[in-house]
Amino acid sequence: MTSRPAAPRRTDADRAPATRPLPLLTDPVRVPLTGLGHGLAAQDLATHLATYGPHRAIDDLLTAVDEIGLTGQGGGHFPVAAKWRTVRESATRSGRAPLVVANGAEGEPASAKDQLLLATRPHLVLDGLAETAAAVGADETVLWLHGDAHLLHVAVHRAVAERRAAGLREPRVRVVSAPAHYLAGESGAVVRGLSGGPALPMTRRVPAAVEGVDGRPTLVHNVETLARTALLARTGAEAHRATALVTVVADGSRTVLEVDARAPVRVALLLAGWPVDVEPAAVLLGGYGGSWLPWDRAAHLELSPGALRAAGTSMGAGVLAPLPAGACGVAETARLTAYLAGSSARQCGPCVFGLAALADVLERLRTGDARRSDVERLRRWTGEIDGRGACHHPDGAVRMVRSALVTFARDVDAHRRHRPCGAAHAEALLPVPAGS
Amino acid sequence: MTTTGQVGARRRLRVDPVACDGVGMCAHLATALVRLDSWGYPMVPDRDLEDAELGAAGKAVAGCPRRALELR
Repeated sequence: MTSRPAAPRRTDADRAPATRPLPLLTDPVRVPLTGLGHGLAAQDLATHLATYGPHRAIDDLLTAVDEIGLTGQGGGHFPVAAKWRTVRESATRSGRAPLVVANGAEGEPASAKDQLLLATRPHLVLDGLAETAAAVGADETVLWLHGDAHLLHVAVHRAVAERRAAGLREPRVRVVSAPAHYLAGESGAVVRGLSGGPALPMTRRVPAAVEGVDGRPTLVHNVETLARTALLARTGAEAHRATALVTVVADGSRTVLEVDARAPVRVALLLAGWPVDVEPAAVLLGGYGGSWLPWDRAAHLELSPGALRAAGTSMGAGVLAPLPAGACGVAETARLTAYLAGSSARQCGPCVFGLAALADVLERLRTGDARRSDVERLRRWTGEIDGRGACHHPDGAVRMVRSALVTFARDVDAHRRHRPCGAAHAEALLPVPAGS
Repeated sequence: MTTTGQVGARRRLRVDPVACDGVGMCAHLATALVRLDSWGYPMVPDRDLEDAELGAAGKAVAGCPRRALELR
């Protein structure tokens, strides 16, 4: 790549942009339904540099981020460039030092992609954190991890020590232990926790990018977003390839894989090992706060954010959970809703009472004990709950329940007529952590 | 940009869902504006208020024992 003029400050020949796209992951990785299992090793700094090449190669990272349309990979898919601009402007206006937070507290029980990145590619995440800090003028960064994620703490602390020993010039990284609960990774909870409060969602008047931790302009980025930023800093927008990092939940395990963003859902499932001659009944897309889609709608749906938006859905946290033919969508939905209700931060009435009410009725529906008006009640309640929490937790639950009522309409009707299917009492397919 | 208190300023009723305990005073004080959901928590119009509605809205804000309503 000699076509772009050399920037005046650059002298290293090896800083020319990579000529080929760089992968986040090389091969699909299979992990258990909970945790990461054994046998995963973190790339050390030397391996990391040999795999991805050294240093930053492009001058204007913000423009590159804008050009490829990078969005937040934690589930919100908000444009990253817009957040960076807001942080820069707010820092200039307020005179307060900005802060960049790498959010590694992956709350979504079905998703393993963020944990896997931290456990196996910690330097990629830390590179992205340093690049992002430089891009917004922050000289302090935080890595926010679930307190019980021991494997990740070890991988991250080792990587930070390696970088210090190698003399990398970058802002200090403060590794912070967050509570283990589901909502500790919600961005408001991150900001509140780092400001000295409880790590719970909060009512926000202004975005964290304007006023976040202790009033400082704060960027909270999911670790995959940061890893993607690190790759972009190496390749530049020209050599960027749009991909999706997904977790496929099937057959009693989870498979994390990177697929081309133009690949349809069906191809992602096949690459994760789903048998080619078997069609699932439906797919849960995004996560537990995502949407159920019937297979005929999901199979050929492209994984790019634009295609999904056009189809009225979202990649969310990147979960793809196929429901095998013969499994009971009503039963899965009832269990997931009970889990989401139990995971409420118990702060907002519509979430505390509304999700519990949805879960109760869905449980009656699952067992075939629903009352005549229960389905109508579910519809009305979802309308009352939507958009009325301090965070989007209740909205996600509502989205999932609504999509189930449509996707499993026939089963819902049979269950309501006190004829639950044979699979209604079978064991849950999707992992629901106990004790929440 | 509109200033608070200015005639014709666009103002909206907002609930702080964390502070709100579902006491329900607002629904008594601003009957036409606040509806309670199935669990007794207030639902407010998702739009700017008309000038004629500001009086009732102000009473609901002032009457909330949890300081969970805001007009802004």
